[in-house]
Amino acid sequence: MIDIHDIWKIYDVGGEKIEALREISLKIDRGSFISIVGHSGSGKTTLLSILGGLTKPTRGSVSIDGTDIWSMNDKELSSLRNQKIGFIFQFSSLIPTLSAIDNVALPVIYGSPERRHNWKAVYEYAEELLSTLGLKHKLKAFPSELSGGQQRRVAIARAFINKPAIIVADEPTGDLDSQSESDVMEFFSKTNEQYQTTFLLVTHNLALARMTDKVHNMKDGMLIQPNNGGSPS
Amino acid sequence: MKIYQVALKEIGKRKMRTIYTSFGIAVAVSMLISVMITASSGQKEVFNVIARYGHSLTIQPVDTKSAQSLKNFGIGTGSYIPETALPDILEVYQKAIVSGWEKMGALIFQEGTMGMGGAAFPPPTFAPRLYEETTIKNKDVIVGGVVLEKELIARFWWDIDEGKFMDKDDEVIIGRLFAALTQTKVGEVLDVGNTKMTVSGILRETDSPDDYMVFTSLKSCQMIFNKQGKISMINVRAMCPKCPVGEAAVEINKKVLGVRATSQMEIATAQSQIFQKTTALIVSFVVASLIISCIGVFNIIMGAIHGRMREIGLLKALGASRNQLVRFFMYEAILIGITGGVIGFALGGALSHIVGPILFKDIVIQVTPRYLVIAVLLGTVASIVASIYPALYASKIRVTDAFKSL
Repeated sequence: MIDIHDIWKIYDVGGEKIEALREISLKIDRGSFISIVGHSGSGKTTLLSILGGLTKPTRGSVSIDGTDIWSMNDKELSSLRNQKIGFIFQFSSLIPTLSAIDNVALPVIYGSPERRHNWKAVYEYAEELLSTLGLKHKLKAFPSELSGGQQRRVAIARAFINKPAIIVADEPTGDLDSQSESDVMEFFSKTNEQYQTTFLLVTHNLALARMTDKVHNMKDGMLIQPNNGGSPS
Repeated sequence: MKIYQVALKEIGKRKMRTIYTSFGIAVAVSMLISVMITASSGQKEVFNVIARYGHSLTIQPVDTKSAQSLKNFGIGTGSYIPETALPDILEVYQKAIVSGWEKMGALIFQEGTMGMGGAAFPPPTFAPRLYEETTIKNKDVIVGGVVLEKELIARFWWDIDEGKFMDKDDEVIIGRLFAALTQTKVGEVLDVGNTKMTVSGILRETDSPDDYMVFTSLKSCQMIFNKQGKISMINVRAMCPKCPVGEAAVEINKKVLGVRATSQMEIATAQSQIFQKTTALIVSFVVASLIISCIGVFNIIMGAIHGRMREIGLLKALGASRNQLVRFFMYEAILIGITGGVIGFALGGALSHIVGPILFKDIVIQVTPRYLVIAVLLGTVASIVASIYPALYASKIRVTDAFKSL
């Protein structure tokens, strides 16, 4: 489903070439639940960004369902990000002027017109997602009225609003306490099983990585052979 | 939820930024609107004066003998128009006016009554005068014989300073300057061409040759100077704002021998053109200030975009296309423009109430809803123009530039 082939990402920093990613090739099947671990600066977030259609690689290709996403125009790529990929960022990523439920529903306004014609259903689903993540009482709260953990859960709910085929998550449980972390991972796991949603998690948290089906280890911009069974190589 | 609703919520939540940005537009719009309202109201005032008092046309004999300076004011003695020519002149005048009206698409309501845009205008006033030179109290002076009720229409600025207007054939009124130079008082009896005439009143100063003249009824003047059936000039006042008196003057000069008709329309037109040019000049300055405001708004929006880099990157990551981002910022610009336009209209209306009376005496400031529409349109266009580049810039921001953490 996701075919990453010979990806290189080279940054030019003050005339110096920095190879953030080197020779990355990876095939990820539909419904996979994988994690990428590695030290800071190992290139894992850059890889996530490239396969999520956010950062263009210097070389190589990323195909999703057989289509090279980096040959798409702006409209097609925007549509792909909106419809097929759900992003969970490692920092607070809510629109401060929108309530929790509006933040969750936000991606729908950039999506297909059919979906936009049924806002009732969209908001019902947004409420369901927030309730599942323990925020039923915070639907109308603005980000400034939410704790870091609550904001993170709103952002997680938002990633699922368009029922994407792929979830890319960068330190998804970073701000959460252990109970919330456990609840979120359970939600991920259930969604993965129920809808065959593909999960790609980037984390420093090895315990979290062990909950995934496959762990990829990155070092110096390169992928090290993965361990199956939840243990990083 | 729609993109414009997100923009609306954004504006609602960031009130101070919205106020700053809108105020930049509002200031320029208010200046433009106040100039427009004041200029329009001023011009209306001019038209109202013309509508109230009409255009003036002077008809004199061709060979008037008098000093050139007085001829310029339509005052000449020694040459006459027979009163019997009045109906012919009136007929030529009326025909020319009707023809002019028809060319302008006006309606003829009934004989002698014309109108345009649903308004009827009364027939013109023909005020004849007879001028004769004489000596009173050892001072050479011109005596004017007038038909008072017509003269008061033709010379609407006439007013009595002391006493009253003459209402008897043996009464005169005198100009303020003549009264001062000859130390003549109301009630005094003057020897006018060997006829005893009582001063019934003194004219308020007019800053015209009238100030050094003596006026009596036309009939008395003709009798005193033995000029029965003769007049020196006719002052015609057309009581409508757009009466084609210029054409009437041309026709009279063409068809009535021995007289020369001069329209003051040309002077009014020239004054109107100067007024319009001055207004255009002011408007151009104000438009320049609107452009400066646009630059200010541009800076505010660019600053806001730099402050919202992460938010813009987030919207892109969530699937907003370039087009949708541009639309988002355009909606914001429109909403800011509308707010600025409404505030600008209110400020401009208030400003015109302050500036208008300073520039035009007795001006009636008319703030109509039309100016609200203009203000909102101006504000919106200015805001959109100022936002185009920032919006395009925002749409081109790369997600990774926005999220340095990704």
